[in-house]
Amino acid sequence: MGNNLLVSGSPHIYTRESISRIMWTVVISLIPAGIAGVIIFGWDALWITLAAVAAAVSTELIFEVLTKKKITVLDGSAVITGILLAFNLPAGVPLWLPIVGAVFSMVVGKLVFGGLGQNIFNPALVGRVFLLASWPKYMTTFTKPFCDTVTSATPLAILKEGKALGHIPYWDLFIGNHGGCIGEVCILALLIGAAILFIKGYISWHIPFTYIFTTGLFIYVFGGPGLFKGDWLFHILSGGLILGAFFMATDYVATPLTARGQIIFGVGCGVLTAVIRIWGGYPEGVSYAILMMNAATPFIDRYTKNRIYGSR
Amino acid sequence: MKSLVHEFTKGIIRENPTFVLVLGLCPTLAVSVSVVNGIGMGIAATFVLLGSSMIVSLVKNFIPNKIRIPCFIVIIATFVTITELCMKAYSPVLDRALGIYVPLIVVNCIVLGRAEAFACKNNLAKSFLDGLGMGVGFTLALVLISAIREFLGSGQILGHTLIKGFEPPFIFGMPSGALLVIGLLLGFFNLIKNKKT
Amino acid sequence: MNLQEFLSIFISSVFIYNVILSRFLGLCPFVAISKETKPALAMSAAVTFVITASSAVTWLIYRFLLLPFNLAYLRTLSFVLVIAALVQLIEMVIRKTSPVLYRAFGIYLTLITTNCAVLGAAVLNIDMFFVKGRPVAGSFYYSIFQGFCMGLGYTLAMLIMSGIRERLELSRVPKALHNFPIAFIIASVLSLSFMGFNGFKF
Repeated sequence: MGNNLLVSGSPHIYTRESISRIMWTVVISLIPAGIAGVIIFGWDALWITLAAVAAAVSTELIFEVLTKKKITVLDGSAVITGILLAFNLPAGVPLWLPIVGAVFSMVVGKLVFGGLGQNIFNPALVGRVFLLASWPKYMTTFTKPFCDTVTSATPLAILKEGKALGHIPYWDLFIGNHGGCIGEVCILALLIGAAILFIKGYISWHIPFTYIFTTGLFIYVFGGPGLFKGDWLFHILSGGLILGAFFMATDYVATPLTARGQIIFGVGCGVLTAVIRIWGGYPEGVSYAILMMNAATPFIDRYTKNRIYGSR
Repeated sequence: MKSLVHEFTKGIIRENPTFVLVLGLCPTLAVSVSVVNGIGMGIAATFVLLGSSMIVSLVKNFIPNKIRIPCFIVIIATFVTITELCMKAYSPVLDRALGIYVPLIVVNCIVLGRAEAFACKNNLAKSFLDGLGMGVGFTLALVLISAIREFLGSGQILGHTLIKGFEPPFIFGMPSGALLVIGLLLGFFNLIKNKKT
Repeated sequence: MNLQEFLSIFISSVFIYNVILSRFLGLCPFVAISKETKPALAMSAAVTFVITASSAVTWLIYRFLLLPFNLAYLRTLSFVLVIAALVQLIEMVIRKTSPVLYRAFGIYLTLITTNCAVLGAAVLNIDMFFVKGRPVAGSFYYSIFQGFCMGLGYTLAMLIMSGIRERLELSRVPKALHNFPIAFIIASVLSLSFMGFNGFKF
């Protein structure tokens, strides 16, 4: 008869999904952007990514061995943190930088809170902001695409200095033919990866679309030389917005649970990103915006709780 | 005699005001950017602590209970003002470095806390030693934190570069780094304490 | 007195030089009372109220009492006494007019006397809005507004912190980090996040 008649308690519907599966699918969805990064910035991009991943996984492994906890490195979450951190770095950084950053990401961003599922902040962003504050010179020196010896500024940095853009065509922004971080420049590759996650149903439209839409709207209204003159398409295609909106602002743990909460989260991120880009001292605000909204998430969750059936 | 020595030593480790009692953190984090500043603040705070503990212990029987806190504050503020003026006169560089945290010694939880918890209940000798011990403990804590922050944040200690080619992470000179260092240190000392019991 | 200055004070007092996360004032109650939202909110409201009131009173005392009589060096002593007296007065008034509010604020009001934030705000106002013993134009209003904004910044930090710590109650934070250490580490990341507002220019 075979094993078609299985007698057991509920649940009776099984799915193949598990945390590992989701995590590793995210890793796969990041591969297009990784390949693009290597094509545009050279093999350094690969070494940096591998260094970050190795450091992240090792840190988690050592920590779990030392504290005699269950070894969870195979669930893929440390790998994701390593990859995302590396994608937020310029291709010219010395190899010790992603290693130190990855260790910081894992320890301060995740392990001190108790590990997977407990972190308040997105670990990769915690690491990135730490690196930016600690070694600003390395973190803001970008190489020209397809030529690793010449430095060039990112489009947003040029914009922040008030210089005319000499206009970088939108197509160049879309395929990543400009200075920037390894994983953020090639919008095309990022969208392919995001499509994979959407098809699988692992991320929903709420956060990414409200985030991007809000940023674009705010830039359109306030970002130009007068009201309603902002170049919203330029801003959406520049900097870490696409990478952040689809892959980091959608972190399951550090973002609100309910749809309403997620929309609030997206709007908050959008406003903060736009405000920092327009008036702040830094050219890019995505990392800070997401971290600040991560901090606000416990509150958002509290006030957007779904009504429990039967309660008042 | 043994109890007198105990009053002094308890402030250094067992009841260290920074790491065990977790008091007086505001100036600790703010001035611990360099060891020089840490030592300066430590000495200033110890002076105020000693002076106020001694005076409070001397006049404790003459202060009505209801207004004892304002009286303590007046006594402490007097010593702080003396410290402020001396610092402005003899080491203006240190005064500028420590900034608003010198007058803030007057509301430093350590100083007021010791006056309230100890000096007004004990004799002169014990209060003197208690103040001294707490002051030394506070200074040692300041030096430890400043050493870590100065080394990590600028690669130097007391202005001397220790390791050539070390690129210091600037964050340790910033507020965020200070909070991180104290958090990790407190966690570290907790770990030791838990292992002991 | 212009709008630009007020805006600049607002941004810098609430975000860039946040009274807790950047100036480290008011840390003791911050780590002690930020475990739950209700007490955190009560404490923040009390602090904001007292800072604003004391900013006004200390400014007046400095301008009309200390400076004319060359007693600027008595600043620390007089400010701290004024603040203590002010807190007593506020406590008495609240107890008479609104017992509900009094029960809500509870012991926090008395604790504020030793809160570095209040004295710190008063001293900062003097340092920032007096030049060589003379008040700058609009100094009085800037001082009060700065005090109020510092209270707002205090409230913001407390609220965020209490939300996070309430959530952490359900997490498996390593034992050695319970309570104070993890609070400081969270504050460290918050401080890092707020750095996004550095260099603001309108």
